[in-house]
Amino acid sequence: MKLAIVGGGASAFYVASRLLSRLPKEAGVVHVYDRLWAPHGLVRYGVAPDHPEVKNCTHKFDEVAKDPRFRFFGNVNVHDNIPQKAFSQNIPLPLSSIYTHYSHVLFATGCPLPSFHPSLPQSESCIPALNVVHWYTQHPANQGPPPLETAKHVTLIGNGNVALDVARMLLTSPDVLRKYDVPSTVIDTLERSAVQHVSIAARRGPFDAAFTTKEIRELIKLPNASMKPIPEDWLVPAPGAKIDRAKGRIIDLLRKGSEQRYGSTAKTWSLDFFRSPVSFEGGKLTLAHTTAISPSTRVVPTGETSTVDTDLVVTSIGFKGDPTSPFYDPELGHMRTQAGRVQGAMENVYGSGWAAMGPKGVIVATMMDAYAVAETILGDREKSLTPLKSLGGDGTVDLGSVPGELVGNTGVLDYDDWKKIDAAEISRGELVGKERERLTWGEVQALLGRH
Amino acid sequence: MLRAGLKSLASTSSRIPQAFPPRLAYQPARLQQTWRVAQRRSFHWSTPARHAGIERPEPGTGIKITFKDSKGSVIKAVEANEGDDILSVAHEYDVDLEGACEGSIACSTCHIILEEDTFDRLEEPGDDENDMLDMAFGLTDTSRLGCQVKVSADLANGSEGIVVRLPSATRNMFVDGKKAAH
Repeated sequence: MKLAIVGGGASAFYVASRLLSRLPKEAGVVHVYDRLWAPHGLVRYGVAPDHPEVKNCTHKFDEVAKDPRFRFFGNVNVHDNIPQKAFSQNIPLPLSSIYTHYSHVLFATGCPLPSFHPSLPQSESCIPALNVVHWYTQHPANQGPPPLETAKHVTLIGNGNVALDVARMLLTSPDVLRKYDVPSTVIDTLERSAVQHVSIAARRGPFDAAFTTKEIRELIKLPNASMKPIPEDWLVPAPGAKIDRAKGRIIDLLRKGSEQRYGSTAKTWSLDFFRSPVSFEGGKLTLAHTTAISPSTRVVPTGETSTVDTDLVVTSIGFKGDPTSPFYDPELGHMRTQAGRVQGAMENVYGSGWAAMGPKGVIVATMMDAYAVAETILGDREKSLTPLKSLGGDGTVDLGSVPGELVGNTGVLDYDDWKKIDAAEISRGELVGKERERLTWGEVQALLGRH
Repeated sequence: MLRAGLKSLASTSSRIPQAFPPRLAYQPARLQQTWRVAQRRSFHWSTPARHAGIERPEPGTGIKITFKDSKGSVIKAVEANEGDDILSVAHEYDVDLEGACEGSIACSTCHIILEEDTFDRLEEPGDDENDMLDMAFGLTDTSRLGCQVKVSADLANGSEGIVVRLPSATRNMFVDGKKAAH
C-alpha cells in the first residue's frame, strides 16, 4: 500500500505508527503532508504552553518518522480547489496528484476553523479563542496579540477546555509562564496586560460543564487569582439525575471554590452559568438568562437579560472543518465517515481524528480513533498497489515516487528539516532558561538556507 | 534492559533544559539522576529511548505480572522487579499499553484495570491521577494509570501474580455522531 495522509497532527502520526508496526517491511509506505512547515498539529499549535507533559507524545511521533517507510512533506497545501495556498509560502499540490500517486489516502485535516456565535459579529474587541491560541503558539495564521493592554474585563463565551486554557493564560503570572514554550513577544504583551477579571459564560449549568476536571482544578489552584463563588442551588443535582464520577468531582471542586478567597487577589474570575450572549456593542455585553434541565435538554431563555461592561469578548464555542476541503459535510461541519471510510468517496479514502469525529476529545480519544482507522485500512489492503485514479500504464503505484511538483522543490520541508528547527528552538530557549523559543518562517528559511 | 540501553537514554537525556525540569513520575528512580544531564541536541537528531527504562529480572526471581485483554484472555505473563511501574513493564515486554505523556499524569492512555484486592492494597490515587482517570474510557472501580502503579510483591495474588487487565482497545468511535444537543 502507498498511503498519503493529508494533515500531520496527532491523528496522522498515530495512524502511521499503527500501520507501520503492522505492515510487513516491504508492503507499503506512508507519506504525511502538512500545509504548515511544522508537524504535530494541535500538539504544537493547540496544547497550552503550561501543559508541556502533553507534548511528550511527540517523542513517539519522532520514532515513527525514523521509519524509512515514512516521509513528511511540510509546507505543502493539498488542495481540491481554490485557494491553492493556505499560507503564502505554501507549495500547492492538487489532490489529483495524490490520487494518481497513492493507493490510499487518509484525511486527518482536523477542524481548523472556529465556530462563530450568530449574535456576536467579529471585531477588534470580539475575537475567536482560536486567534488567542494562534497568538500564544505563534501559528503561521497568527493575527497578532489580542488587545490586552486595554482590557480590564474579559468575557469568554463557552466553557470548554480551550476557553479555560485562554482564561489560565490571562490569569497566570507571566513569571510563571516564561519558562514554558511561550514566545517572548507573547510574554511581553502579557506583562502589559490590564486584565483584572475573566468571566467564563456558558448557557448551560455546572452539570453540563464542558471543561474537564484537571483544567478547572488548575484555575482553582491559581495563586494570584480567585473565583467568584457559585450559587449553591446551581450545584444541587436535579432530582433523580445520575451524576457520573467526573461530573461529581467537578461539582465538588466548584463547591469548594478557589484556593484564594474571592477578592483577595489582584485578578479574579467567574463561571457565569446559564448565560447566553444576545449582543455586544460599545463595550456592553447583553446576556440572556437561560435554564436547562440537565442533561441534554434544550436551553430555554427565561426572558430575563443582564448587561455587563466588558472590554474584550472571546468566543470559544467549538471548531469545524474547512468547508472548501474535500468531502466536507456541511451538516456535520466535518467529513462523514463510517469505520474510518469517507462516505461518498471512492474506495480507499479515509478520515480520522477531528476531521472525522468532530472537534472533541483529548489525545486518548484521538489515539484510539487513529488505531481503529489504521485497522480498517489494514483490512482494506487487497487493492494495495492500484492508484486511486490511474493514469494508465500498468496501473500500479511506484512506492518510491512522489508527486512531480515536489521533486527537488526546496520549499518542501522534510522531517530532518523539522528536527533541525526543533533543535534550534530548544537551543534558543535554553539560552534564556525556557523550554523553547519558536522560530518564525523567516528564521526557518535562514536556518535551513532556503530562500 | 541492558546497560547499553541505559547509556543511550542518559546520553540523549532530556530535550528540555535544566531550568525546566519535567515531571519525573515515569522515570524509574535509578534513572532520574541521568535525566537531568541536559544536553544540547545535535542537529543529527535522535529520540530519547524513554520507554526502555527498566531491567528484566532473571527468570524465576521477579514478581509475576499477568497482562490480560478486556475479555480476560492472557496476553502475556512476565516478570518485573520491585518498584518498576506497570507502564514501563508493559513497554519492556511489548504489551500494547500507551504512555502518550510518558508517565507525567497528563493523559489517560495507560489506563489499566486491577483486581479488587490488588487495587485495595495500593495507596489511593492522587487528585492528578483521578483527574486523568475521569477521562479514561471504560473506567471501572479498580482502574488506575499504569504509570502510577509500582510493582511490589504484596500486590501479587496466586499463580498469576499481579493481574493487569487492559481496557477494551476499541472505543466505538465509528458511530459518527451527532454532537450533544446544544
